[in-house]
This record gives sequence, C-alpha cells and structure tokens, in this order.
Amino acid sequence: MSDDKLTKILTFIHQRNPEVGELNLDDDLIDRRAVDSLAFVEFLYLLEELSGETIDPEEIDVEDFRTLRAIDKRFLHGAAAH
Amino acid sequence: MPTTVKPVKLDLARLEAMAESDYYNPYTIFDWPESLGTDRPWMSEDLVTLAGTEEWGKLTREQQLALTRFEAVNFFSLNVHGIRELLSEVVLRIHTKTYADASEFLHHFIGEENEHMWFFGTFCLKYGGKVYPAVPQVGPGRIEGVGDAATELVIFARILIFEELVDYFNARMATDDSLPPIAQEINRVHHQDESRHVAFGRHLFTQLLDQVKETRPEDIPVLANYLETYLEYSVRSLYNPAVYRDAGLDQPLELRRRLLEHPARHAAHTAILNRTRKFLARNGLQVQGASA
Repeated sequence: MSDDKLTKILTFIHQRNPEVGELNLDDDLIDRRAVDSLAFVEFLYLLEELSGETIDPEEIDVEDFRTLRAIDKRFLHGAAAH
Repeated sequence: MPTTVKPVKLDLARLEAMAESDYYNPYTIFDWPESLGTDRPWMSEDLVTLAGTEEWGKLTREQQLALTRFEAVNFFSLNVHGIRELLSEVVLRIHTKTYADASEFLHHFIGEENEHMWFFGTFCLKYGGKVYPAVPQVGPGRIEGVGDAATELVIFARILIFEELVDYFNARMATDDSLPPIAQEINRVHHQDESRHVAFGRHLFTQLLDQVKETRPEDIPVLANYLETYLEYSVRSLYNPAVYRDAGLDQPLELRRRLLEHPARHAAHTAILNRTRKFLARNGLQVQGASA
C-alpha cells in the first residue's frame, strides 16, 4: 500500500474516531471500533476511490476489512503485505 | 434484549382501530403495468439528489429521466432494506413484558411493514430489474456504554427516523401527477400507513426517553450525538454511486462528494430532516450546529 493511500485511510478513521489511537497493519479495525456500522458505507466509497474498482456490497467478506493488511491485500493489490 | 426496561404504557386503541379500518390487500389493490416507459420521471424531479444544483442542468433530458428511474429504484431499495432491518428488531420484542401493551398494534405493524417490503421490492424487480444491495453491518449496531433504556430507545429511534425520512418523499410523490400511477399509488399507500407508524413511534420514543431521563440522564447527550449521526447517515444513503453509474453519469464518487458539499443539497437535507430534528429538540435531544 502506498503511504499516500494508507494516510488517506488513517485520516478517514481518525476523523470519525479520534479516540482509536495509533493503528498498525495487523490491528483489528472492527474490534478497535476504528470503523463502525454508520461509517462503513463511506469507508467503502473511500476504498473504491483508492482502488479504482467498484466494490459490490453483496460480495463483501467482513474479514477483508478486519485489518489494514487485509484491506491492502484485497483492495489495494497487497503492496504492504510483502 | 434487556430485561431492566420497564413495561411501556401506551393507549393505542385509536391507532389499532385505524389499522383495522384502513386495511387493504396489497397483493390485489395495485394495477401493475407491464412496463412504465421512459418518457416520464419515476421519481419527483425536485427530490432527486442532483435537484437544485448545476449538475442537474448539465444533463440531457434523457439523462435526467434515466436518473429519476434509478433514483426511484434506489429509494424503494432503501425502503426494502430499512423495513427488513426494523422488522427483525420488532419481531424480537413482540410479546415481551416491556412491549406487552403494544403487542396488538405491533401485530398490525409487522403485517403492514411486510406488505410494504413486498410492494417496494416488486417495483424494484419488475421495473428496475434489481434491488440495490444493502451494505452489510460491520461491528455492533448499538451504542456502547449506555444503559438498557437508551439501547432500546436507539432501536425505536432508528425506526422512527427511517419512517419520517421516507415519509417526506412518499408524501411528495403521492400527489405528483408527472409520475407513473403505480409510483404515485405505492407512495400514497405507504404514506397512509406510515402516518400511524410515526404516531406510534413517537409515543414509544417518549416513553423510553422518560425511562432514560429517570435512570441514566448522563446518556442523553450520548443519544443526541448518536441520533444526529444517524440522521446524517440516513440522508447520505440517498446518494448512491451505483445509481449515478447506472444512469451513465461520469465519475460517480466525485459527483457524490460534490453533491454532499453543495449548499442547495444542504438546504434540501434541512427540509427533509426538519420535522424529525424538531421532534428530537422538543425532547431535549438537540445537537447544536447540526447539519447533514
């Protein structure tokens, strides 16, 4: 994941939940309440913009959103996972 | 479901009598044409998400009409998903001690909502070829750190907010003669039933809020913030990039962002949410400076 994309994702998270604190690539975003159900739609649209690909809500697996590393692998071509 | 919430006390005889006297058979009352044609709007033009902005004027007439078709299908899809979610919560509560006083009315409510979901879904599938999918829930759908009464209040407040928001659209489209008759009719029927549901929802909301004020008044500002966030979430769900994509509009995500920042759309949101915000404010749940 490019630093630019990671920064945009973290900015989104911290704007909505400033209390979440520092996040590492393997932190559980759902357990940490980094993205809640009311923010999730907007989060999807952000990932669509960053990936340049349409995300079908019916084909979403919540596990794909659990960590920054999983998001990177599923939507941003896994640059950070290697 | 919490057991510490005291039974609600509601006098619903009038609403129950109305539900019985207003009853209709949704499966037989509508005249569903084979197709609706593409030469008239399917959604009131002043209700589409581009209304009041220069973006609307940039479209050809064909694009404008296409947008009304996909926005109508999106609006009815939101109804389908909203009803599905509220039904699941209400079904869990009927015939519990807390809601025993409301169970007779809740039977009418569940029956009517199921029928609404059927006719909205039928419109989407018959004329739009699909129901726009809902985004799945991620994480808890509840507020954390509040008491049981506040948790119950949030459930019914979400239902009330959803109903009041869609009713704003139903009321307008029920009398819009530019729409196909079937679109007017299902908006009219929904508006008629929702008037009773909103009245019920407000009674229940007030009862549960009184319990919050008695037992955990510190939950009130948390509730106010959550409900304002929920209002904004609800109105933003009207702006679906898939709709813009289907209508052939360029750069749907950028378009959505521009629209959400547009002053004309902020004014539209204020109008859509006005009745609900006033109700919340009268009950001490006002968020200062709120804007969707």
